[in-house]
Amino acid sequence: MDTDLLSDTFVDLADTMVADFDIIDFLHLLTDRSVRLLGASAAGVVLADPRGELRVAAASSEEAGLLELFQLQNDQGPCLDCFRTGRPVTATDLSRPPERWPRFAHAATRAGFRTVEALPMRLRDQVIGALNLFRAEPDSFDPADLRIAQALADVATIGLLHERNVRRSETVAEQLQAALNSRVVLEQAKGKLAERLGIDMDRAFTMLRDYARNANQHLTDVARDFVTGGSAEFPPPTRHQPGR
Amino acid sequence: MTDSRAEAVWGRVAAHAATHGRRVSLADVCAVAVKSAQLTGGWLAAARGRDPDFVMCVTDPVSEQLAEFQLTLGEGPCHDVLASAAPVLAADLSDADSVRRWPGFTPAARRLGAGAVFAFPLTAGAIRAGVLGLYRGSPGPLPGRQLGDLLILADAATVMLLDSTHGGAEAEDGSWLDGQPRDLALHRAEVDQATGMLTVQLGVPVGEAFARLRAYAYSQDRRLADVAGDIVARRLRLPRDQGPGGGP
Repeated sequence: MDTDLLSDTFVDLADTMVADFDIIDFLHLLTDRSVRLLGASAAGVVLADPRGELRVAAASSEEAGLLELFQLQNDQGPCLDCFRTGRPVTATDLSRPPERWPRFAHAATRAGFRTVEALPMRLRDQVIGALNLFRAEPDSFDPADLRIAQALADVATIGLLHERNVRRSETVAEQLQAALNSRVVLEQAKGKLAERLGIDMDRAFTMLRDYARNANQHLTDVARDFVTGGSAEFPPPTRHQPGR
Repeated sequence: MTDSRAEAVWGRVAAHAATHGRRVSLADVCAVAVKSAQLTGGWLAAARGRDPDFVMCVTDPVSEQLAEFQLTLGEGPCHDVLASAAPVLAADLSDADSVRRWPGFTPAARRLGAGAVFAFPLTAGAIRAGVLGLYRGSPGPLPGRQLGDLLILADAATVMLLDSTHGGAEAEDGSWLDGQPRDLALHRAEVDQATGMLTVQLGVPVGEAFARLRAYAYSQDRRLADVAGDIVARRLRLPRDQGPGGGP
């Protein structure tokens, strides 16, 4: 592992968490760093909605095919198994029979992925989600790298619970719903921007995120203002009104 | 994974309406929410902007007062949930946290006999339709299973509120409920993306865009996710000037 990159990652994540941050943007940062640190082809953070559903919160690419791989895992797949058992789940050659998860394996292989790993996001005895890693090569992740991967999954959990008082289990549920709703705001904004400019969803996401970073605003706030604002102009023509 | 669970929850709402010999309404969602989580009472308020506004239904006089207090004081769990789009699960109104957060509401609520208050935003992304408030005489947390059911009921209330604001005939006819559990049980990003796209295609606010999307799927007898997928893939555009039953 690139130890300079590991140090930079640690610093970046810590810096973010001590400041005022947007949870979806933070989880995107984490998936980006996971890909680079662990030699993965793609990564995503999936959260367990109490309604009984696994929902993607952030991924290293907003490309529809990758997001679909997470949605598929509501029926079968490493994230579902990881959520149910609370333990890491590994598969090192999805194209080789027998297939543990036939539909998922088929979709993942078609997307170019042969190896998959799911690390649990745990808080005491509760599993609140998973960090899902994909690789194009059909060989497993290095055990030392997997220790870092689990640490990154733990950091994702900590980021989600950025309120001080984590002893109350109610806080977990509240924060989870806020994050899930922020994700929906982001999807609505992607749709509006993609339609407005005739671009794809991944490009729309990048524009929203880059604008938020440059304007030093929360990604979710930018997305919400864009969706609820009367104008479809982007970048928005007037200054953001705080506290709206 | 969730189809049957959402259908079971919606089924209880429909059954409640049936036993009262009327069409499904928000009052049924409220009543089922109270019963399924073994709480004491509940209320539902529509939103105006980021704040709760008028109260649409209550299950009992104490709930009515809890709802009205928050509107009068301009503080309370119902205000917080609309601002943050996250539920507020105040399991014990006697703890320091509740007094600190709602210095006016908390003592008043306790005097009325509320030991715990649980508020749920009726939101879908940037859409803010209202708030569902519930209370229990005794303090104590909500078990996880009941929390999940309440979230499903909050989703039901959200679409019903949106349809009553924006919908046409579909909102009056109870049969529109038939497809809803399946359509809304499993969250699909395409539905949210299509909603955003429709704000531009139809030139309407996001709440109306979502109502029009669902009304179109219903009128075409198609799954919501499939219609949304077609819109996102640009195989389908909804016509701007026609009603929800307009063609491709």
